[in-house]
Amino acid sequence: MTQTQNDAGPQPVAGNAGRHAGLRAYCEGVFAVVGMEMRQRLRSRGWYIMLALWFVIIGIVTWLTWWSWNAQQANMAWDTSAASRGPGPLIFEIVLAFVLLFGLLVAPAFSANAINGDRAGGTLAILQVTLLSSGQILWGKFLASWIAGIAFLAASVPFLVFGIAQGGLGFGHIAIALLMLAVEIAVVCALGVGISALANRPLFSIVVTYLVVSLLVFGTLIAFGLGSMVSQGKVNANQMGYTGMYGYDSGDIKEPVPPDYIPPLPNNVTDSDGNRYCFGIIQEMETVRTERVAWMLSMNPFVVIADSIPYQKSVTEDRTTTGIFETISQGARYAQAGPEGTYPCANGKLTADYMDQKTPLWPQGLGLQLLVAGGVVALGWRALRTPAGKLPKGTRVA
Amino acid sequence: MTQHIPQEQEQDPPALLEAFDGLSATGLSRSFGAVHAVVNMDLQAPAGQVTALIGPNGAGKTTLLLMLASLLAPDSGTVRVMGIDPIKDPAAARAKIGWMPDTLGVWEALTAREILNTMGKFYRLPKEKIPTRVQDLLTLVNLTPLADQKARVLSRGQQQRLSLARALIHDPQVLLLDEPASGLDPGSRVALRGILRQLAAEGKAIVVSSHVLAELDEIADGAVFVNQGRTVLTQTVDQAAGQGRKYSISALDPAALVAALTALGVAFESGNGRRDSVIITGPTQEYASALLRDLVMAGVDVCAFAPATGALEETYMSMKVEQP
Repeated sequence: MTQTQNDAGPQPVAGNAGRHAGLRAYCEGVFAVVGMEMRQRLRSRGWYIMLALWFVIIGIVTWLTWWSWNAQQANMAWDTSAASRGPGPLIFEIVLAFVLLFGLLVAPAFSANAINGDRAGGTLAILQVTLLSSGQILWGKFLASWIAGIAFLAASVPFLVFGIAQGGLGFGHIAIALLMLAVEIAVVCALGVGISALANRPLFSIVVTYLVVSLLVFGTLIAFGLGSMVSQGKVNANQMGYTGMYGYDSGDIKEPVPPDYIPPLPNNVTDSDGNRYCFGIIQEMETVRTERVAWMLSMNPFVVIADSIPYQKSVTEDRTTTGIFETISQGARYAQAGPEGTYPCANGKLTADYMDQKTPLWPQGLGLQLLVAGGVVALGWRALRTPAGKLPKGTRVA
Repeated sequence: MTQHIPQEQEQDPPALLEAFDGLSATGLSRSFGAVHAVVNMDLQAPAGQVTALIGPNGAGKTTLLLMLASLLAPDSGTVRVMGIDPIKDPAAARAKIGWMPDTLGVWEALTAREILNTMGKFYRLPKEKIPTRVQDLLTLVNLTPLADQKARVLSRGQQQRLSLARALIHDPQVLLLDEPASGLDPGSRVALRGILRQLAAEGKAIVVSSHVLAELDEIADGAVFVNQGRTVLTQTVDQAAGQGRKYSISALDPAALVAALTALGVAFESGNGRRDSVIITGPTQEYASALLRDLVMAGVDVCAFAPATGALEETYMSMKVEQP
């Protein structure tokens, strides 16, 4: 959407003040479209029914999670560590996952008939013949569908707050989670509006948008899996041993072993952290270079959300990943790090078994998503320009 | 029909085209794939006049209007809207164009007043002026009692009137109306005629496409006949009225009428209407009035003597257009 300057207004704008006035006129046009769209949406009964259904379903999911956690606690009364954490994180993560899932399902319904639905109703040309530019029409339609999506997010806030109230998490988590959910829904809305400008019939564009969304959710996983299979590679590594365990050349062990006996380390240790050590000759090992295909995984909306939400430090200390989102995030970062960072004793160095590297994965994934959505919207903008040059077959302007 | 002077339809040289006061199009063509919707069409709609665009279904009228409305780019040819090229500067041209499409296209969930308000915003009218402008237009198209009803509940004719008001919101210099009279009741038609004549008197260039040719006789100053994507004929309504046309005559005593016509040596045929009438062909209006005088002098009780068809309809029918 770089056409802002081109069609800012019919009057020639000069200087900084002129550009400001032009930008304001541009935004006013966008807001006029948003206002009209919102007014129409707010008057359709279907929208309220969808919102009510959404509220009820998320409520049921929250209640089921809370119930099953309580039932589990009754069975595992001995596990005090889980009890001390409370059901908060679990409820929060499950509700969040469902909100994302439903958001991905609902957003195409708002957005993917925005342009061609109007074309079918004969109202698109009415907009195009006014002083609105195609950029303003697209921005307006996109913002209106995004606002509708955000209304759905707002309806799920009470349940996220309930999760937080169960302890273990802060309000920062809700803020970040909602922000990222809003961004993901924006991506889907942009895809939907762009596709609806390109496709002729609303039904077709809605189906295509759903396919693109499922490509992001499932396609990225499949592509990553298949991609890993063909990403065979080599890594230089030696062997790993654990301090306190017998090595290969411990022929001098005397029976019985005293309780405080620590077997000596092999003499060619290359790295050690007190518990583990690397030793032996560095050789080429067959492995899978997952870092080459991790970008596909990074485009997955669930990975983006999971990776962007910070974990609790207390959980990381005992080196066990407990949350669903933390597991997803760790898995993705493990893939991104590749064998150089994860293969035991790669290059004779110990590797962390918990991935807390400084570069998170989600900016890359979100960036790729925005690139795709932006590309689709740009194509849609081209198709919407008037006076229309080439038209797709079967299109009637009005 | 007395206040205007017959316009000479002359071919403007390209240099004059820029300065033409009104809407002009020369050599327009546009094809959709293999279908040549418009092939070399010319149209001149001077300011202050109503120009009718007449042709059979599929003649390319709507495509031509879309090109004039800056929505569709012509493959070749030029359009000038009060001297502005809508391809080069669509925004400037659109500020001067009001377009009423043949498909109604109303936002059904909004009220008539909201639709006009929103259109005012889309045309960047000053905010403080929009409410009065909207109210004026609602009064003009006689929708004030329904102003706060959802557009969904309006009848087709009412939506049509709303669509006209929508096209007028920014007081355009050029008005393009695609079938504005379809679906209108007789009262609304008379009102539409009044509105269009008034707008023309204000100096606006108006292009009306319509099938209701009798209606156009009353509204239009000139007519452009198109068929199969081509401009077939350009004619003023006075020219059309001056050409030979058919008159329908009826008398209290049909037998006496027939006898008198035979005595005067006038060829006639029996009419196809419900009443007992005859049709004659009059080459000029003078001939017709002389014949009426002769019939009355001959003692025939003439009770109706009128053009059997509208002037434009006469031209249209004489073109023997082929419908694909």
